[in-house]
Amino acid sequence: MLPWVYGFTWQTGNIIFLSIFYSVVAVILGSFSIAAIRAFRDLKPDRLDEIRWHFDFESLPEFAKVCRHAFTGEVNQRVCRNGFDCRTCKVHSKITGVPRITKSVYSEGEIPFGLKISANCLYHRGHTWVRVESDGTLTLGLDKLAEGLVWSQCEADLPAVGTRLHVNGTGWYFRKEASRARVLSPVDGEVIAVGGRKEGFYLKVNPGNDSDLRHLLKGLEVGPWMTSEVERLEMALGASDGAVSLADGGVLLDNIAANYPEQGWEDILALMLLES
Amino acid sequence: MDRNRNNGTKDIRLVARGVNRMPFGKFLYLLVPWLIILAIGMYAIFLCLAKGLNQTNMDNRFAFGVWIFLDLSIIALGAGAFFTGFLVYILKREELRAVLNSAVVIGFICYSGAILVLMVDVGQPLRAWFTFWHPNIHSMLTEVTFCITCYLVVLSVEYAPIVLRNKKLKEVPAFLAMQYELHRIMPVLAGVGTFLSFFHQGSLGGLFGVLQGHPFAFREGLAIWPTTFFLFIISAAAAGPSFILLTTWIASRVSRKRLVSDNVFALLARISGSLLVVYVMLKSIDTLTWLNRTVPSLGLSGIGFFLWAPFNIWILFAEIIVFGLVPSLFLLFGSGRLRTGWLVASSVMVCCGIVLNRFVMTIQTLSLPTMSFDRFMIYTPSWQEIAAFLFVVAYGVIIYSLSFRYLRLFPQEIEMKVN
Repeated sequence: MLPWVYGFTWQTGNIIFLSIFYSVVAVILGSFSIAAIRAFRDLKPDRLDEIRWHFDFESLPEFAKVCRHAFTGEVNQRVCRNGFDCRTCKVHSKITGVPRITKSVYSEGEIPFGLKISANCLYHRGHTWVRVESDGTLTLGLDKLAEGLVWSQCEADLPAVGTRLHVNGTGWYFRKEASRARVLSPVDGEVIAVGGRKEGFYLKVNPGNDSDLRHLLKGLEVGPWMTSEVERLEMALGASDGAVSLADGGVLLDNIAANYPEQGWEDILALMLLES
Repeated sequence: MDRNRNNGTKDIRLVARGVNRMPFGKFLYLLVPWLIILAIGMYAIFLCLAKGLNQTNMDNRFAFGVWIFLDLSIIALGAGAFFTGFLVYILKREELRAVLNSAVVIGFICYSGAILVLMVDVGQPLRAWFTFWHPNIHSMLTEVTFCITCYLVVLSVEYAPIVLRNKKLKEVPAFLAMQYELHRIMPVLAGVGTFLSFFHQGSLGGLFGVLQGHPFAFREGLAIWPTTFFLFIISAAAAGPSFILLTTWIASRVSRKRLVSDNVFALLARISGSLLVVYVMLKSIDTLTWLNRTVPSLGLSGIGFFLWAPFNIWILFAEIIVFGLVPSLFLLFGSGRLRTGWLVASSVMVCCGIVLNRFVMTIQTLSLPTMSFDRFMIYTPSWQEIAAFLFVVAYGVIIYSLSFRYLRLFPQEIEMKVN
């Protein structure tokens, strides 16, 4: 049946079969080769960050992908499909154009679970905050919930001054022994200074000309979002086949991770920092 | 110790985030029986390959033994992989993404298991390439071999990104990039997989168009395609979703976790039920045509084939009514109303029905006398045949267990914790 086999004849049936067979083989090999070539081209830090975020976001459960406008009651039960990037979201641009009607249970500046929320900060879904300074630079830090999860002995592995950051790319790492957790960068820009826990901030960034911060949470959105994140944390800490009890009051412990020594530190922190 | 947490799990660094798995020791303990079966099966396979088919109870009359029956059955049950891929990537039924990874793993296990058994059956694995270089132009099985091999390659490529997405492996930049790019070509592979599956499922059924020496299985049809060509495709497409439903339920029970939402079960049931209704209808027409036209034209009586115990008329009744019509109606009309347990029971019946059909088309076909001097024969497989059969089962259980433990087979698992 194949041309190199003794007795092969160029009959219509043989030609059809061969054409189909070789087409299928060509499609499989071609697709795989294209994937391999593209993968080779993807081996650049920025591109890898994009890919990593693509999978991390895709792996998030639906309840962790609630749209910011669902927190304030502007839309009903909407799930984000845009990687938390409101800058390119058509729904966001439509909603922000109409007057706000909110049913948020928190008023602006109110503090759920004893978590301090600064009124002059913008919040990223990966638990970082951004403060716009008077000179136009941005100061980046970790919010109180994530700070409570980071163990005191762990080290912050901050990028060098001059490093270029991208939204939802790698901001910095926390490392403890062989474990590490990645903090997502909330903004685009160039690192101009590094700090640490003691300094009260982790990075200072010059956003340059493109300081588009529309994707960051602010005002009335922050309270309900933080509440839902505390619930997500409770689920991560809870048993799998029992009902998760979601307390609607109380104050979070300062150092949550230290109070749950039996949990995988890396996993809990990574989950809250949106790493799958 | 709290079994629901990953403490005590030595391999926690390999387990996906947000899910809980049993302690590593317990996991190994549960795998031990399967590893023993695997070892015995490996020895049996070695005997068959080293000493030949005299290790089996197959002979010139019983050339289709338990292995070919197993092959036809698991290839039909593994059809869930191509059909789920087709529904997700081509027809955009996004709800089924919840079981897509699991379906790919099951498809990979079924097809690699089938090829493994074929390798033992045919023998001389070092000359396997002869099939491609010197194909037998008169055999439908040539097309089957080509299609199954190509489809196993497709399944391996589909399985690769699931493996590369393991928590540790994806930290390697090249693996991360490769799994992303493999994901991007999935719709193409799903299309190719569907094409290949349609043809090899059909070609397995097409075999009965040339089996004129066995009127019990011989079928006529359109041009070179007998009716069994189409029946094998439809029955596999119907059984595939049922098998996915069943394996998901088993994984859920063994792990004591909800892995997918009820509406995924309902959708799988509805798809399987719809296709099964069509299959039962066509199978009934085919059987009546065979009884009233095909067999009489050969000078034989169709009913005469059902007079040989233990394969009496009950087997036909069981295949079409008990394991065909009844579960199809349960799945089709009960998908939105019945409890999951009923759907699972119906799926078990569907899988039994397909396995019974493949049994009828192989073992029963060869048992029945075809010539006046023939006699009814019973075939009992040797221990080597059974051990090789069980090897594939154990291989499947081990691969699936490892995949469930270290890979993210059910994306909804974390969400199901709170529902």
